[in-house]
Amino acid sequence: MKSPFLLALSGLLALVTSPLLAETEPLLKSGDKVVIVGNTIIERARLSGHLETALQLAAGPEVEDLSFRNLGWSGDSVFGDSRSYFGTPEEGRTRLSQNLTDLKPTVALLCYGTGAAMSVESGWTNEKSAAKTSGAGMEESLKLFTEAYQELIERVRTASGPQLREIVLISPPPLENLPAPLPDQTENNKRLAQFRDAIRDIAVKDNLRFVDLFNALGGDDFSGEIASPALTTNGVHYSETGYQILAKALVEELGYPESASPSSDSPSVAKLRSEIIEKNRLFFHRWRPANETYLFLFRKHEQGQNAKEIPMFDPLIEEQEKSIEKAKELVFSESAKQ
Amino acid sequence: MCSIHRLCLLGVSLLAVPFSSALAQNGLQDIPDTAFDAQQKAFKVIEGASINLFAHEPLVRNPVHMNWDQRGRLWVVSSPLYPHIKPGQEEQDRIVILEDTDGDGVADKNTVFADNLHIPTAVLPGDGGVFVANSIEVLFLKDTDGDDVADERKVVLSGFGTEDTHHLVHTFHWGPEGMVWLNQSIYIHTHLETPYGIRRLLGGGMWHYRPETERADVFMKGLVNPWGHAFDTWGQSFLTDGAGSEGINYVFPRSVFKTSPGASRVLSGLNPGQPKHCGLEFLTGANVPDELEDVLAAPDFRGNRINLFRLTDNGSSYTSTQIEDLVTSTHKSFRPIDVKMGPDGAIYIADWYNPIIQHGEVDFRDPRRDHEHGRIWRISFDDQELVEKPDLVGASNSELIGHLNSDEGWTRHLAMVEMRTREKGEMMKALQETAAPEDVDPELAKMRYIWGTQALNQFDKEAAADLLEAKNHKARAGALRALYYSAGSNPDALAIARKAAADPHPQVRLWAVSVLAQLDSPDTVRIALGALEGIEVDEFLDFAIWSICREHSDRWVEKAKSGNPFESMSQLLFAVRALNQPVAIPQILSALESGDLTGESATADVADLVSKVGNAEQLNRLFELALMENTSDVDKQILLESLVSAGKLRKLQPSGDKTRLSQFLQSNNVGLFSSAASLAGLWKLESARPGLKEAFQKSPENPARGKAAMDGLISLGGPATAKLFDELATNKTAPYLLRSLAVIGRTRMNPQAGAQIAIAVLKDAPEGKDPHGIFDAFLSNKKGPPALAAVLNKGSLPQAIALTGVQKASSAATKPEGLVAALQNAADLKPMKMSLTDTEMEAMMNEVATQGDPHRGEAIYRRAALQCIVCHAIGGAGGIIGPDLVSIGSSAPVDYLINSLLQPSEKIKEGYHTTLVTLKNGDSFAGAIAREDANEIVIRDAAGVEHRVPKKEIASNNISPVSLMPPGLTATLREDEFVDLVSFLAHLGKDGDFKTPPNRYIRHWQAMSPHERTRDAIGHWGKKIFAEDVESYVWSVFYAEVAGGLPIDEMPEVVGRGKNRYSVARTFLDVSSPGDIHLKISGKLKDLTLLHGETEIKLPEDTSEAEITIPIKEAGRQKLTIVGLRSWGLDSVSIEALDDAGKVILPTVSEF
Repeated sequence: MKSPFLLALSGLLALVTSPLLAETEPLLKSGDKVVIVGNTIIERARLSGHLETALQLAAGPEVEDLSFRNLGWSGDSVFGDSRSYFGTPEEGRTRLSQNLTDLKPTVALLCYGTGAAMSVESGWTNEKSAAKTSGAGMEESLKLFTEAYQELIERVRTASGPQLREIVLISPPPLENLPAPLPDQTENNKRLAQFRDAIRDIAVKDNLRFVDLFNALGGDDFSGEIASPALTTNGVHYSETGYQILAKALVEELGYPESASPSSDSPSVAKLRSEIIEKNRLFFHRWRPANETYLFLFRKHEQGQNAKEIPMFDPLIEEQEKSIEKAKELVFSESAKQ
Repeated sequence: MCSIHRLCLLGVSLLAVPFSSALAQNGLQDIPDTAFDAQQKAFKVIEGASINLFAHEPLVRNPVHMNWDQRGRLWVVSSPLYPHIKPGQEEQDRIVILEDTDGDGVADKNTVFADNLHIPTAVLPGDGGVFVANSIEVLFLKDTDGDDVADERKVVLSGFGTEDTHHLVHTFHWGPEGMVWLNQSIYIHTHLETPYGIRRLLGGGMWHYRPETERADVFMKGLVNPWGHAFDTWGQSFLTDGAGSEGINYVFPRSVFKTSPGASRVLSGLNPGQPKHCGLEFLTGANVPDELEDVLAAPDFRGNRINLFRLTDNGSSYTSTQIEDLVTSTHKSFRPIDVKMGPDGAIYIADWYNPIIQHGEVDFRDPRRDHEHGRIWRISFDDQELVEKPDLVGASNSELIGHLNSDEGWTRHLAMVEMRTREKGEMMKALQETAAPEDVDPELAKMRYIWGTQALNQFDKEAAADLLEAKNHKARAGALRALYYSAGSNPDALAIARKAAADPHPQVRLWAVSVLAQLDSPDTVRIALGALEGIEVDEFLDFAIWSICREHSDRWVEKAKSGNPFESMSQLLFAVRALNQPVAIPQILSALESGDLTGESATADVADLVSKVGNAEQLNRLFELALMENTSDVDKQILLESLVSAGKLRKLQPSGDKTRLSQFLQSNNVGLFSSAASLAGLWKLESARPGLKEAFQKSPENPARGKAAMDGLISLGGPATAKLFDELATNKTAPYLLRSLAVIGRTRMNPQAGAQIAIAVLKDAPEGKDPHGIFDAFLSNKKGPPALAAVLNKGSLPQAIALTGVQKASSAATKPEGLVAALQNAADLKPMKMSLTDTEMEAMMNEVATQGDPHRGEAIYRRAALQCIVCHAIGGAGGIIGPDLVSIGSSAPVDYLINSLLQPSEKIKEGYHTTLVTLKNGDSFAGAIAREDANEIVIRDAAGVEHRVPKKEIASNNISPVSLMPPGLTATLREDEFVDLVSFLAHLGKDGDFKTPPNRYIRHWQAMSPHERTRDAIGHWGKKIFAEDVESYVWSVFYAEVAGGLPIDEMPEVVGRGKNRYSVARTFLDVSSPGDIHLKISGKLKDLTLLHGETEIKLPEDTSEAEITIPIKEAGRQKLTIVGLRSWGLDSVSIEALDDAGKVILPTVSEF
């Protein structure tokens, strides 16, 4: 349940981001620090870099020093299950808060719902008070998801700090049917549509920008046919081509005109994308280092001395941001010439 | 203060040791020669075998895992990046393909398939590419243009944890049914989003994954590092553990092993006290000698060797017996971490090659870490023919199917892998049309056919159902396992499982219950409980039934509220006990009262259940039973103790008249009195106070009764108890025991008040010891240490007792630094010198290498005062509080050993962290979590005592950074003794006298203490008096030495006639069936007497070693007593069982 204080706070923030502004103003501004929070679809987006590349280019040459931090985690829920390491989901949420406080984002993109929609019978969280409800069927599971998502949004606001300008809710992209023996996802996709509706309702209520990737990628038109061409490798997880199309849909849904972006298959765009992938690699070792147990958790008294290496990734990431900026400038200068 | 002086002296003398400049540079560098030749020379292989180098660095560096492809090429992943990527470092770990094209046993064509991986921990070729564990994800890499270099990279699974890089998802294996099997270790928390929903596994365990459907599910949970997995001929799974110490583990669906978070019950491995392993493979095929056929090879990477184990059937599970080693090495960098049979029938070994292992205990950036070397060794048997490498890729479909029945395990396995890459319809047709060779057991051929259909994802369910009619129980169990995975969608599964649950063989029942657990039917639990009937139910079958009772509780609990949904009351009791919830308690109690519930443990089981979940009225029914005259004393005590548990843990009392307890307070039976005393306090029976007071005052005569009375008085509480304790503690003429108990009692009531009277008593401590635990009383409550510190002033305690206090406080999980400082100040103790400078460390290591005597060190290790063996077993012989040190010398560098003795908390082995639980009232418990359920946690403390703690009373529950091992244990040693002790530890597990031999020596004994009866009785009845069951004999735990012998002169001297003095030890063997058993006894036989029961077994006199036969009339526990006449030259006796563990089970504890 939301505390009266949080309700008041969210009302206040809603005043700042009026619906009118959200619809007319472009999302991204110079110097923006964008965090992307979500589950598998977000985590794996770091590997191909398409999502960030598309956003960088859509923002246009005038928007400088735009940086992205991917905080996606496979199998995560709106309770923060996957971030919890040895603890309860509460510890996962605390960890996310800490990440946001450290990163001081100006824009937060959130994308949750796929895992939950697919697990309404078997459950999708270990949160003690919610574990059973999460597997108690569509109705109860969806209600739980909605409440927990609203709390997560409040958490993102509070933890990020006053510089946070916008939170964007992105609906999960649709599921596909691929040939047997991969499972038929028709029913799951219907459930996912309802989750999308719920997410949209949250956005409307909270005056947040909402991106309907589900609809944009054909989820509402899907009636059980085998996907051709397929965007996913297994009906759920997007392939590299899938991410490219997904990224395009995302920027369009954000209101960036298609014509504004340079062609995605030029060598300079490929260079930009490879710089982004390298930055994502470096940042992954920074925010989700291996050996957490020894570096920061209950065995840090043994090997905690090695934790000093982890912040040494920061200057490398900063350098890499410069390479991204340079690569982006090259893309725009080339496209200006043409 | 002598001990402190000694340690200071140690420091000073270390500084005085001269060291050369070479030593100064290389002080921490004890690096073995890296030459191939040096390693080759250091091997000792099993008779008839030879070993050669198959591949090596620079291509192969630090190999982690390997698997074959169907072309006979070995795929190896290696990770010079381990243990942690450096900032700025590229992700360049590799997969290499090794091929021996000319069949000379040496790889001659080597290709780097991929070189862009991040600590890859598993590799599995198949399905036209290769599956690779790449930290958080499983990748599928593919070469699409035929140059043997990966050009396609796809994530197939993501969300594996990376909390520890030697725990990352690992041990990939194709199952015979065409699924990929994956394991993860203790610290890993995995969250997979599969096309079937979210799957999470928090902690260790094993997954199965079918690539074509992308279905991934958890198979079993637990184990610390399940780094080895092998399937036997019939498809049963066995795992090894790289940090547990129970050898081979038999696993089945939903089985749970130690360290699984939140487990309320766990299963054990088949070889308790065995070394830790990485990798596992069945030796099989034409090149393997008959006597090694189907033996399991398990690399003991700590001990630089590969152990062998033979399995025999035992109920629903197996017995595993260790036999001689396959290969051992004196080369410390030989780290066998994977073993696989090869296409030529030889055995291939991945040698990770490193002088040090681990990164929890040894710094990530320790310069001694080897990132350059790595070797693949090959063992073949000279007198056996090698196998001709089969052409699987070139085989026609029907030829390929023929290979599924090959005599060679390698060929069968890779034929399945090749099959999966071909057109599935065609393959299925060939599979159905190709008849199995006549010389293959038809039941086994049918099993393989079924696996073939599964490998093609076209499971022939009917064939599996048919196989349930097989004669061989292994075929029936195998058929059920094949049915298990898709049982949920198989309409015939319920009928099949119902029949199999009544199978004559327990393993078939185990699998029937596993299948039932997959089904939706409302009858699953009822059917599963039927599997309890008519056969001996062992731990594994019991576990499976227990598990389904819990998992499917919503199918029977409602029905049990109004009647018994099962076939008998004992089945209902089993189910409710499994569930551990207040269900059906009234009808169970009625059955016990009326005598309808029989069985030797019925009273105990019902009492335990009611004490945990019953209400006051139900507790009263237990009390009534205890009061009944015809209830036995044993049952009375069980019933009273259950009321004590309910009172302590749940603050719940029987509803009826409690004054009737008084009859037990008159009892001469100490047990009954103790329980009644506790209850009198818990129930606040003021009428019991005088009796308790009297018993407390008589503590010196009867300490057990006195301590029980103290507990009762504390619980009764009030000014009367306080006054009694205060008076006794300050009465200088009272015995020390009584004064101590008074302080302890007062402290437990109120630490501040206890502190007021503690100092005067501590000052009188005999020899500076604290035998009754005054310090412990203060340390067991968080208010205690500050209370005691507050009353300590300079000079208030003598040094000896203050030091005892410092030692106890320093190992307390609460880390009471204020108390430590106050104690040091009180006795003017200098802070203990606990660490050495680099220079001192170098000198010390030099001394260990040049002066240390491991034999003397072993005697020091065994010294009672030092307490090493009380907590740390070696090869299973010794305590279980700390890690088994069986191969510590070959895994831990010497500086690590020295530091661990001086500062035990510095590095703590995984699985041995202390959990500190603090209750709302301030009481604290420190130890390992033995198990837990929804209501309570059970903590095993440093003394091995289990404490049950109700969860709702817990204020905090943390992992403590303090080791259970007290610092300063070695402070009483002289420098040369310390050096000898380190030398002993450093030799443990290395080839020689200090590597636990595989022989089945009896390691757990009890030694007899002197007794007044022996001098005269021996004259009348001879040595059989030592084997008689005389209640007043005192036996204490005694362990064999690492080499297996019992050092007779370390045992107490028992008086015989005249000047004769004896050492007497006894042990108990468990013999599975009547008939002869065979033992080998070594020692000075003419001075030894061996008794079986009270019968003397004749030993030859003129030899030092003999094989003897003992006829066993009745299976079960057999007592052996060995009596040695003490004289010069009688130093060690050993007894070894020559039969395997299926026949003779050796004791694994010394508390018989």
